[in-house]
Amino acid sequence: MDLEEKEIRNWKRKLIMAWAITIPLIVFMYSRIFFNIEFFDATTMKIIMLVISFPVVFIIGFSTIKQGIRGIATFYFNMDSLIALGTIIAYLTGIIQFFLPLENYSGVSAMIMSIFITGKFIESKARGRAGKEIKKLLELGAKKARIERNGKEIMIDISEVKVGDVLIVKPGEKIPTDGIVVRGESSINESMVTGESLPVDKIKGAKVIGATINNDGILYIKATKIGSDTFLSHIIDLVEEAQGSKVPIQKLADQITNIFVPIILVLSILTFGGWMLFNGNLSLSIGAAIAVLVIACPCALGLAVPIALTVGSGMGAKRGILIRRGEAIQTMKEIKFVLFDKTGTITKGHPEVTDIFSNNPKGEKNLLEIAASLENLSEHPIARAIVEKVNLKKYKEVKKFKILRGRGVEGIIGKDKIIIGNRRLMNEEKISLKGIESHIEGFEGEGKTTMIISKNKKIIGVIAVADAVKDDSARAIRALNRGGYISVMITGDNETTANAIAKQVGIKEVIANVLPEDKAKKVKELQKRGRVCFVGDGINDAPALKQANVGIAMGTGTDIAIEAGDIVIVKGSLMGVVQAIVLSKATFSKIKQNLFWAFAYNVIAIPLAVGGVLHPVIAEIAMALSSITVVTNANLLRRKRI
Amino acid sequence: MRKKITIEGMHCASCIANVERSLKKISDVEDVSVSLITHKAIVNLKENSKVSDEQLKQAISKVGYKALKIE
Repeated sequence: MDLEEKEIRNWKRKLIMAWAITIPLIVFMYSRIFFNIEFFDATTMKIIMLVISFPVVFIIGFSTIKQGIRGIATFYFNMDSLIALGTIIAYLTGIIQFFLPLENYSGVSAMIMSIFITGKFIESKARGRAGKEIKKLLELGAKKARIERNGKEIMIDISEVKVGDVLIVKPGEKIPTDGIVVRGESSINESMVTGESLPVDKIKGAKVIGATINNDGILYIKATKIGSDTFLSHIIDLVEEAQGSKVPIQKLADQITNIFVPIILVLSILTFGGWMLFNGNLSLSIGAAIAVLVIACPCALGLAVPIALTVGSGMGAKRGILIRRGEAIQTMKEIKFVLFDKTGTITKGHPEVTDIFSNNPKGEKNLLEIAASLENLSEHPIARAIVEKVNLKKYKEVKKFKILRGRGVEGIIGKDKIIIGNRRLMNEEKISLKGIESHIEGFEGEGKTTMIISKNKKIIGVIAVADAVKDDSARAIRALNRGGYISVMITGDNETTANAIAKQVGIKEVIANVLPEDKAKKVKELQKRGRVCFVGDGINDAPALKQANVGIAMGTGTDIAIEAGDIVIVKGSLMGVVQAIVLSKATFSKIKQNLFWAFAYNVIAIPLAVGGVLHPVIAEIAMALSSITVVTNANLLRRKRI
Repeated sequence: MRKKITIEGMHCASCIANVERSLKKISDVEDVSVSLITHKAIVNLKENSKVSDEQLKQAISKVGYKALKIE
């Protein structure tokens, strides 16, 4: 059983026992006050109250009393110290009053302890709710794996899986660990890890992520990463570390939390002294001192920020947005520029065929077959793009294939000599571009690379290739523009190509011709005009991500650059950036709200207690409510649509 | 070097503050972050630090909590 459940169950057990004793006690106490019914004579009643209260305060509340006294003794004060002192002093009044005229607070001591336990129970449950997404993430990993041994399929414990093992995953089952598909094909639901809601098709050679769900086919997967090296483990590490990370705004609250308990102890003594001095009524003085002890709540103050951060980061994790540093949440609201790296961030990072032009309107199929057959022999990214696009089952036989470096390829298919390449190659081969010149220029104006295909020195068509824009880049950038951000793109491309892409997705400003090593410098220059959020892939852009006020690193869905970036978008979609910004702002405003309540509560409640206005029981109820309010308010963050 | 410690018994904000304070007192500890939600402390130690798990455990038990697991 995990600690969270253990804690909740523990408080619940105590709660039931405490009230089972305290409720009859209250009946005895108040039947006399309100209804003037006396079950026993006064002296018997005093003894009964002491006897009944004892187990509540000292047995059921044992761990609280023990921790509290230990805190006082070692100078590591905690809120138990306040409750322990409050209840012990209250209890002692029940004994002292045999010798001095004094109000009997011994019954109150049991009530304080019971209310404290109730508050803790409700708070721990609410805290569990706040961390539910994170808890889900921690429990996401597969427990078992199916493996073939001696011709039989058996289930083994996940810890027994070794790198290189081939695991069998049936439909509906969890992928046990990170690996590569070696046989079979299927679609996989990766939403629990990447936030991507659409299933992803996997065929032989595809990478799969442990803990994702195999939808329909049987997959044979070779394990490539196990245990703490897996993608999921990295995500968990990241999210866990973020839980304790600090948001700058909480500094004051933390400082106060650290010295809160000793200050309250002193204040309580001063309250007692002050009342004795000016009023002289011992009962009132003790009542006020106890109220001060039990009303003060370091929890509301200390929890205000972390609990909101937990809910926010949990909501993010569910959507594939990992908030690594709490600081980013605060800085996000001051961001003016969102600076995108082009390649791999706005675009997919690898070329794709975008346009096909055939001289002969009916010859497109033939054109593509010829091009793909030749390019299939080349490893160049542009060649790969053409081959992928055409996706032939059977290639034509190519003789005398040659790669012409930096220009193209040539070869013979059947009796025809085929040359595919750029303008320069066509010029060298003295092939006239007449008639297609305008098409080529058109493509180039859009920032595309053209591959010209010629057969026996005559042009038969053009294939345009470009690093295609990701599906939702334009939507995301428009959303940012509407939100008042200035979207900027940085790239090593020339201005024509850069502007073409910028126009396509709605980017406002372009910084072109930038060498990779100069990106951080450009971020710095932009920072002179306002705060910058840099969005990059995290592998080549680490310095720029660090330099920016907020760095958002894009993962690819199977890989993330853990070390760079304040926020990591697992699946690499730009909509994730928009979501991250919305989430950060919402979380931060929740943090501010919580801090406000926590401060306001203490600033109002403590003086009231000092002033002797509040009965200790009312004070304890207020205290319990204050920390419950903060945690519950944080949970309300979930209502925000991201 | 990074250590992840699972801690039992923390239930309030001052508990967190105490554990952080106690762990930070160990020399070679660069940074500590404790979470009430995950019940974990993440401790960053200096490279080649000689701080033992036992020392970390003691720092936590000194302030009244129990280190269940150190990874």
